[in-house]
Amino acid sequence: MEMLNQATEKLKGVDIKTETEKGKHRREPCPPLDTYEPEEWMLETFKQESKQLLHLAIVGHVDAGKSTLMGRLLHILGQVSKKEMHKYEREAKQSGKGSFSYAWVLDESSEERARGITMTVAVAQFETPKFHIVVLDSPGHKDFVPNMISGASQADAAVLVIDACTGAFEAGMEGEGQGVGQTKEHTQLVRSFGVEQLVVAVNKMDAVEYSEDRFNAIKTSLRPFLKHCGFKESGIRWIPLSAMENENLVTQPVNGQMLWYRGPTLLQALDSLEPPVRNVAKPFRLPIAEIFKSRTLGQAVVSGKVEGGAVKIGSKVLVMPSGVSATVKGIEQNGKTCTFVRAGDNADVGLQGVDPACLLQGGVLCHPDYPLPAASLLEVKVLLLETSGPLLRGSQVIIHCHHAKEPAKITKLVSLLDQKGQAIPNKKLRCLLANQRAVIEVKPERGICLEEYSRYKALGRISLRDAGKTLAVGIVTRIIEYE
Amino acid sequence: MKLRHRDYILNGPGVVKLTPENPEDMWYAYNLIAVGDRLAASTIRKVQRETSSGTREAERVHTRLEIEVEAVDYDNVANVLRIRGKNVTENEHVKLGAYHTLEIDQQRPFSLSKDIWDSIAIDTLKWACDPAATSEVAAVMIQEGLAYVCLVGQSVTTTKMKIETSIPRKHGPAIAGYEKAINKFLENVLQAVLRHVDFSIVRCLIIAGPGFTKDQFHNYMFSEATKRELRVIIENKSKIVLVHASSGYKHALKEVLSAPSVMNLIMDTKAAKEVKALKEFFDMLSNDPLRAIYGPKEVEIAHDRLAIQTLLLSDELFRNADIPTRRKYVDLTDSVKSSGGDVHIFSSIAWSTFRNSSDSEVSTS
Repeated sequence: MEMLNQATEKLKGVDIKTETEKGKHRREPCPPLDTYEPEEWMLETFKQESKQLLHLAIVGHVDAGKSTLMGRLLHILGQVSKKEMHKYEREAKQSGKGSFSYAWVLDESSEERARGITMTVAVAQFETPKFHIVVLDSPGHKDFVPNMISGASQADAAVLVIDACTGAFEAGMEGEGQGVGQTKEHTQLVRSFGVEQLVVAVNKMDAVEYSEDRFNAIKTSLRPFLKHCGFKESGIRWIPLSAMENENLVTQPVNGQMLWYRGPTLLQALDSLEPPVRNVAKPFRLPIAEIFKSRTLGQAVVSGKVEGGAVKIGSKVLVMPSGVSATVKGIEQNGKTCTFVRAGDNADVGLQGVDPACLLQGGVLCHPDYPLPAASLLEVKVLLLETSGPLLRGSQVIIHCHHAKEPAKITKLVSLLDQKGQAIPNKKLRCLLANQRAVIEVKPERGICLEEYSRYKALGRISLRDAGKTLAVGIVTRIIEYE
Repeated sequence: MKLRHRDYILNGPGVVKLTPENPEDMWYAYNLIAVGDRLAASTIRKVQRETSSGTREAERVHTRLEIEVEAVDYDNVANVLRIRGKNVTENEHVKLGAYHTLEIDQQRPFSLSKDIWDSIAIDTLKWACDPAATSEVAAVMIQEGLAYVCLVGQSVTTTKMKIETSIPRKHGPAIAGYEKAINKFLENVLQAVLRHVDFSIVRCLIIAGPGFTKDQFHNYMFSEATKRELRVIIENKSKIVLVHASSGYKHALKEVLSAPSVMNLIMDTKAAKEVKALKEFFDMLSNDPLRAIYGPKEVEIAHDRLAIQTLLLSDELFRNADIPTRRKYVDLTDSVKSSGGDVHIFSSIAWSTFRNSSDSEVSTS
């Protein structure tokens, strides 16, 4: 019996992937991306676009009111029927969480509702005069930052929700004990994903009696930090509001105490954002965010944001890291079927000819001629955040890239960079300290599918975390070894 | 480890007779047995004999052999040591100079004779035979979709099982699939715990991880225990502890074991000191980098200037090292100790080194 157990143990150590080697697409080095020529149908309808698509990540410290704000907004804009809203209100009151009724529009699982927090990124959609907005409601709790990274990596712009209550804003900035609050951590992560536009929604203004002083105090406190992260003043919009009282969300504020505010409402601010650039001219890449089964799309459905290129029903795609070929059986966007999706669209893609076990969160669907193999040794350029402890050669971290996350080891500290980004020569690098910039080599435990930043921006951004803190953010400069 | 016989002089030759009792002892034996030592144990040898009818028969014979060690291999999964070497005693079945592989297993006594018993070897022996030191803690590191079942000892941490499943989204139409998938996952983890955790030797079972998966597992475990009448779990309810960790990966074990509630349970002075020493090093490195150094050359320079107060070493430096190198590190350890400094030797497969596995020395002054 003992031997049987030991034998099963040893079997479990065998990598099943080696069995599928024979049926796999041969791993050739990917040809340079500029040789890719997009097909006619991909660009054609580009001009006929009715509304631009915008991915909006909602981030902020825990209990700032992100889900409630979005739930309220969706309700006002008619995305939630009266009947549904009534149901949420009733159920929320029953479980003693009356104030969470709007948040329940987005927090659907029983766990989330029972605990009153968001755990995974909820996706919802609504329309503004200019955009069709895909909302990515992130968890604010520090344990779920990996999920927040997964969601926010798809974002084109972000809404940072701040709790205006005395003490709450400070907690968001300082955090409890060591480390920063999620206000800071989320902002840094969101900036590292390349987001340049930020709407700062100062929520719960009703609790501070819509005080202009409090709003300005928060603004003064936050502004230098945002600048330090790299946000330009022109990319930030400051909106005071109250989700519970429905002030300044869609209509101009009616409450007498808020007459000092003459700026745009939240909806107007969202509408004034710049549309993102669409990479249709690059080969198809879709980082897999979720895998599930659906009645309409079959047993193997992946969902995520198309970062580049386009696919239509019948297109052949390659599933990485397993290397298996599949065909697109069906495509759905927000529950509606469509025939094709292009860069920037968030879609659910049903695949044919692939075993659902080959699909992994963190994998990537790509163009068959431009495969994206898993990298096992990377050279990255990073910026260590202020809360990071020293990083040595051999330190264990968790590396996050789009939806993938793997434990990894820092194998080499290559060079330290000065303010301008030039390598400081002759500096024997023993360890890295907070706020330093450096080039290091990282070896993940298993291969991660990613691209060098210069080739494909969305797939080249990484963050390093450990012990519940984000240690560093950076970009992949070179892939040294493939798996 | 049971010490049955001991006969050696410091820095001189000697022989000991030991019987390993638990998996951790295999690790101590691995650190004790070096190339060039002589190891004697009872073993099985396949001997070829010619029978009267002329055919050759292979027969398995139990015999006691002494070999001169040439290679030592530690099998973490099966918890055995395989030592390969040349036979040095006369034996009716085995020729002198013939190669043989001895397997050291639990409950199998062996005798080890060395030419030089230096202070490190004597210390290792002391730790191995200390009865209070045999404490084991089982830990389940769990996050959504990923779990590790580990057994943590004084200096050995073994991962017994890894469970990984893909759990679909919690929104929209596939929400039913989520419930099914997570129940299947929790069931697999429960099976792993039942199979690998022996509650009679384990001091406590720690369930750790981020978010609420650990609570989900805890609830699931107890509801299934009452449903299926799993006595093991119901009886040992008090031994189960829930601790928060930042992730479900193995290196988060370090955070778990440094949590005060767990520290009380373990009460390992060795582990507590190790945690403190490592933390001190990292703090000093970040606050005052000139006083904390790592790397063999730098440490030597610091030692020449008699500037070392705390020395942290990996036991890998003492294993498989040639005699002059080992001599050098033993001397370093001895002189730091004699000048009033502290020396900590970290086991290379202990939980503390999951966090930072640099196989060089480290020192603070």
